[in-house]
Amino acid sequence: MNELFGVSMNLIAAVCVAATALILAAVAFIAWRNPVMFKMGLRNIPRRKAQTALIIVGLMLSTLIMSAAFGTGDTLTTSVTAEVYSILGEADEWVSWDAEKEPRPLEEQVIPLETVEQWQAKFAGDPDIEAIVPFQRESLPVLNTRTKLNEPSARIVGFRAKDAASLGGLKDSAGRPVTLAGNEIAINEDLAGEIDGKPGDVLLVYYKAEPIEFVVKAVVPSGVLSGAIDPSAASGAAVDFETIANLTGRGQNADAVIVSNTGGVKTGLARSDIAVEKLEAELEGTPYTVSALKKELVNFAELIGSAFTTIFVVFGLFSIAAGVLLIFLIFVMLAAERKPEMGMARAVGAKRRQLVESFLAEGMGYDLGSAVVGLIAGMGVTYAMVEVIKIFAGDNLGLDLTVTFTGRSLVVAFCLGVIATFLMVFASSWRASRLNITAAIRDLPESHPVNPEASTWKGYYRAALNGIVALALPIGLSLLLVGPVGMVLGLPLALAGLVSPWVFALRGSNTAAPADHRTSEGPPKWPWILGAAIPVVGWVLILAPYWIAVGLVVFFRDRRLATLPPWLGVLSLLVWPVALVTVLLQAWRVRISWAAGVATAFGVAGIALTYGGMDRDSAFFFLLGVSAVALWIAVTLQYFGLSDRFSFSAVSALVLVLWYLPSKWVEPVTGPLNGDIEMFFLSGMVMVTCGTFIIVYNADIILPAIARLGSRFGRIVPALKTGVAYPLTSRFRTGMTIAMIGLIMFSLVMMAAINTNVAAIYLNDDTRGGYDNVIGVNRNNPIEDIRAAISAGGADASAISAVGELRTAAAQEAQVENRDEFKNAENDEGDKIVTEWSRYPVFGADAGFMASNKLTLKFRAEGYASDRDVWAAMGGDASFALIPSSVTVAQQGFGGGPATGDLLRLNPVEDGFAPFTLTLRDPGTGKESTVTVIGQMSDAADTFFQITSPDFSIGILTGKQTVLETFPQSQGQRYYLTLKAGVDSKEYAKSVEAALVQASADSIHQLLDDQQKIQNGFMLVFQGFMGLGLIVGIAALAVIASRAVVERRQQIGMLRAIGYQRGMVALSFLFESGFIALSGIFLGVALGLSLAWVLYVSDDFGDTNGMPFAVPWLNLGIICGIAFVVSMFMTFLPARAASRVPVAEALRYE
Amino acid sequence: MSDAHGVADEVVIEARGVVKTYDTGLVQVKALRGVNLRVRKGEMVAIMGPSGCGKTTLLNSLSGLDDFDAGTVTISGHDIARMPDDRKTEFRAKDMGFVFQTYNLLPVLTAVENVELPLIVSGTRPKAAREMALTSLDRVRLRDWANQRPSQLSGGQRQRVTIARALVNRPAIIWADEPTGALDSATATEIMDLIVELNEQEHQTCVIVTHDPKVAARCHRTIQMADGLIVREDSQAEMAAVAAGH
Repeated sequence: MNELFGVSMNLIAAVCVAATALILAAVAFIAWRNPVMFKMGLRNIPRRKAQTALIIVGLMLSTLIMSAAFGTGDTLTTSVTAEVYSILGEADEWVSWDAEKEPRPLEEQVIPLETVEQWQAKFAGDPDIEAIVPFQRESLPVLNTRTKLNEPSARIVGFRAKDAASLGGLKDSAGRPVTLAGNEIAINEDLAGEIDGKPGDVLLVYYKAEPIEFVVKAVVPSGVLSGAIDPSAASGAAVDFETIANLTGRGQNADAVIVSNTGGVKTGLARSDIAVEKLEAELEGTPYTVSALKKELVNFAELIGSAFTTIFVVFGLFSIAAGVLLIFLIFVMLAAERKPEMGMARAVGAKRRQLVESFLAEGMGYDLGSAVVGLIAGMGVTYAMVEVIKIFAGDNLGLDLTVTFTGRSLVVAFCLGVIATFLMVFASSWRASRLNITAAIRDLPESHPVNPEASTWKGYYRAALNGIVALALPIGLSLLLVGPVGMVLGLPLALAGLVSPWVFALRGSNTAAPADHRTSEGPPKWPWILGAAIPVVGWVLILAPYWIAVGLVVFFRDRRLATLPPWLGVLSLLVWPVALVTVLLQAWRVRISWAAGVATAFGVAGIALTYGGMDRDSAFFFLLGVSAVALWIAVTLQYFGLSDRFSFSAVSALVLVLWYLPSKWVEPVTGPLNGDIEMFFLSGMVMVTCGTFIIVYNADIILPAIARLGSRFGRIVPALKTGVAYPLTSRFRTGMTIAMIGLIMFSLVMMAAINTNVAAIYLNDDTRGGYDNVIGVNRNNPIEDIRAAISAGGADASAISAVGELRTAAAQEAQVENRDEFKNAENDEGDKIVTEWSRYPVFGADAGFMASNKLTLKFRAEGYASDRDVWAAMGGDASFALIPSSVTVAQQGFGGGPATGDLLRLNPVEDGFAPFTLTLRDPGTGKESTVTVIGQMSDAADTFFQITSPDFSIGILTGKQTVLETFPQSQGQRYYLTLKAGVDSKEYAKSVEAALVQASADSIHQLLDDQQKIQNGFMLVFQGFMGLGLIVGIAALAVIASRAVVERRQQIGMLRAIGYQRGMVALSFLFESGFIALSGIFLGVALGLSLAWVLYVSDDFGDTNGMPFAVPWLNLGIICGIAFVVSMFMTFLPARAASRVPVAEALRYE
Repeated sequence: MSDAHGVADEVVIEARGVVKTYDTGLVQVKALRGVNLRVRKGEMVAIMGPSGCGKTTLLNSLSGLDDFDAGTVTISGHDIARMPDDRKTEFRAKDMGFVFQTYNLLPVLTAVENVELPLIVSGTRPKAAREMALTSLDRVRLRDWANQRPSQLSGGQRQRVTIARALVNRPAIIWADEPTGALDSATATEIMDLIVELNEQEHQTCVIVTHDPKVAARCHRTIQMADGLIVREDSQAEMAAVAAGH
């Protein structure tokens, strides 16, 4: 895996390693400069071993998620790449006829051996090209006369012995050379497995329905020389070149030429670009083309790995976000626990910086420990996920998954974990260090001096100005979204934002003090050191802004104004960069309401994002902006004296309503908004935050209801009451924990609900199209009358009640006019990505198919009252056509809208659309025909064609005659059978396969079941992966409960003194955790399920075929049950500890 | 039979040879070295002595809050050392009330909810418990503050709530550990007035650990402790003289 989110993994690794090294260097510097505080921090780690273990488990999550995501990507990349290397062996490039450049009938698309020999002569001794190997190939049915087992489509290849030798030569499984002549055949291991073949067996190979007898000379490994050219269809065999040439009648010509680069199987890849360049030069002016086959497949493997890693990282973001919240919570609680110690340390002369350093030392101990544990756990999770995929996907995956971890991925995962934890530890340490010494020593709540400007417009104006200046960088960047106007204001603001944080950092220091307070101490030196230590980035982004900030602070410190002139205030509100000057001029150490200030900054950035989102049709920016504005409003209401309950509940409720509004209601105001998978993350974050606010500010309304329970549950009511009341007195930690659990539950529930409904839509009975079996016929051995063929083969044709036939032209055999109704889209490089013709499959159905299928349509053209009318018209006129469901509209997450990468680029149609024409073209002959589109198939119909085709393809559906006439070279053929009632489709498929050597038969019921099984397997993996985040929430509960036992020791003692039994004390703690866990679970389930429902019934979800919204009750029950039971289990230990608190000791505990 | 203070002859608390040792791992601290004590029904006894002499340990051992190593403690004829934890807890809930220097009120409950807690855990029906709690608050003159949380009350009011809580189940014995320790002198006097008044009205036995001679002077008898032993007993008159000297 070489890229993540399009960024090179090497670059990511370099940045991560550099940042980690910097962190470690900084910590080492602290240890060297102040060993006492460093040791003080470290010695806290072994003080409470259980707590330390809990903290490490909580902190490891980020690393675990990252390493599991990277491990999965590495595993897929390596497994697919290994498959590519194994099959292609020495073959690196592929030379073949260029049908695009030189249309010609298929049988004429050959390369004379004479021409190949000229190339061989020319490149003999070339340092980059080692071998040029011509061959012929044909897919044919093979029957083992001994075992009666057959393979309807084995790829038979023929190489000349001298050419094969240059690719290492054909060798049997023991490594002995195999030479073939006449009717000798070497079957590969895949084919041997299918037909139970072994040396000496007599095989019948069918060509044009004629059996030709071959004797198996050897079983050889699957590879290019034994016909395993396509990794997804590896069954094949090798015969002598002359034998296949005589069989096909192509004589001394090759179908294609394999080129092997100098070097081994893997090392030859490095020469691919230069080899292709040389070959292209040689092929200039010829009808042949070269492709870097191995390189493309290896790149594809990389793409798969990156895609999976990206998916897992995106889905893991919830857990990472919850993990970050937990890190902060843990350190805030640790700080609370140490408050008296820290207060005493400050009292005896420790500086704030030293407290931060002490905390950092402790934090880094946990950080490094948790990163190592997380890395190991992540590797374990990868193993588990791969095993689950193997169990559910099994052979359907066609891949031998071998768990692999690259050193680079492990290093990146480790470093990312270390960095994320360090940043949170630093933030919480800084917060903890700002304590009131007296309050800390006596362990009293922090009290703040009264702000004379509190709740006044003047104070609000000051707060807003300071907030905007402090967060000028993110606001400035947000403004850049708003076109040229935003650029004019945003760019200077962003530049000011590089300087302003330093101004605030210096504000409380000696440097900013007025002359009568100033000592000779200079400005802090660490920013100079930090900036200088990071080449270029540090010099530009840290050193220079800090230098400017120091200059500004020194310049303004003795020039402060008693009161600011109104014109300056107005100017600074109009031209925000001027606000920096205003801030510098304000009185020294004036009180600022930072909550209002930061919220205002969020609000301003939110307005810019909202406008930018509408301007750029981005649902993400729009909703992020609106949510930020909502937060601003809530904090503003609170600032001006409205109750917290009202301010946060009302605004949160409004934001939730906005998220639930169908896009068709919002779009008249905003215009069309597009979103993708990132909306899943944003919706979770915003909705769960709003829901958490509503719960923590309003849950006390259930207390009277609990009191009323008193008459039924007398003795436990106090425990129940305190179980709800205690969490609500610590809104911060309770809210954080509810949010963590809620986030994870939201993601799990959304995913389960969407998956269930997608499965219900795509994998329901409609998907069978009314058929029970599908029969794939070998292209070289078509069947004209399937009933007769089945009877002739000895199977019971009378079991069939209806038959439909499909002739198929695959994407490489057919082109469809590209109407480009999205108007010539360009890629990132500015190249037009739309060509006149697109390679696209075309299916031709016979009258039987038109009459017997029960496939549903999404839209019908004008003049057709029912689906049946359309099918009847299709049966009567072979030039009518239907387009697949996904050809016009792609599901694009929350925003909807057409897919930009769609091949035919057709605009969406609606019921009653005017029929339109599409031109079809044979790329081999250039022959064209025009069809008239009269309907669009449903999603279920798309799935029907996908699961019943060997290459999972969909296509334009038209009449059989049209396909036969337009694409005479294409010989794909499928039959669909409806069986009489009572006939077992699986058994019947087996009997058909036994009767027809040239056909494969499958039960469509079985295919649907397999598809469902694969989907469930991946679902399980995703749910398991995302469920890892629950560990965070549960760890948070355990941390809070442990902390509560310490905090409430005296109260526990008193409860025991007045008659609480041990069990009651434990119960009250369990109720407390239960309340938090249930709130989080309820929040996640309610939001996830309701949002899934809103999406499902909205237009954005696409065609639901009238299926009602399905709730996965069993799945939800299991998820909720596990979450709750494990939460309770984790709280059990602290609860038990609470119940065992010695009463007398607790009462005197301080 | 009872004396002028309303103190009966009946002994409700009897300690014989009570020994309690704290083992800190490095050293063993003998907190009680064989304490003998008898307290009669309705008597108010103060326990005084320097810090670390074993006052609180004695109170905890007598009340069953803590176990002791040797000796016997009998409360109303029940040997508390032989009681299992559950029985001891129930005994405390029904027959004892506690007042501590740190009020130990549950901050998340209102005053009345704090007061009714011992009743509810001992099985009283909620409606009856609420009525009794309000009556108890009435007796400490806090009925109007019944629905306030502890954080909304002053120190004296909080201590009065704990007294109301200690009295609500009409216990035979009230144990008070430095009940006025965290209060200013005026509030301390007010609280002691209340305790004495309630003792006179209800004839409950009170054992009060205190440093304050003024508090001790309000009790019928004062026990002086030193190094884990009772070294002297002072009468109310003697303590009043000491308090006046202060």
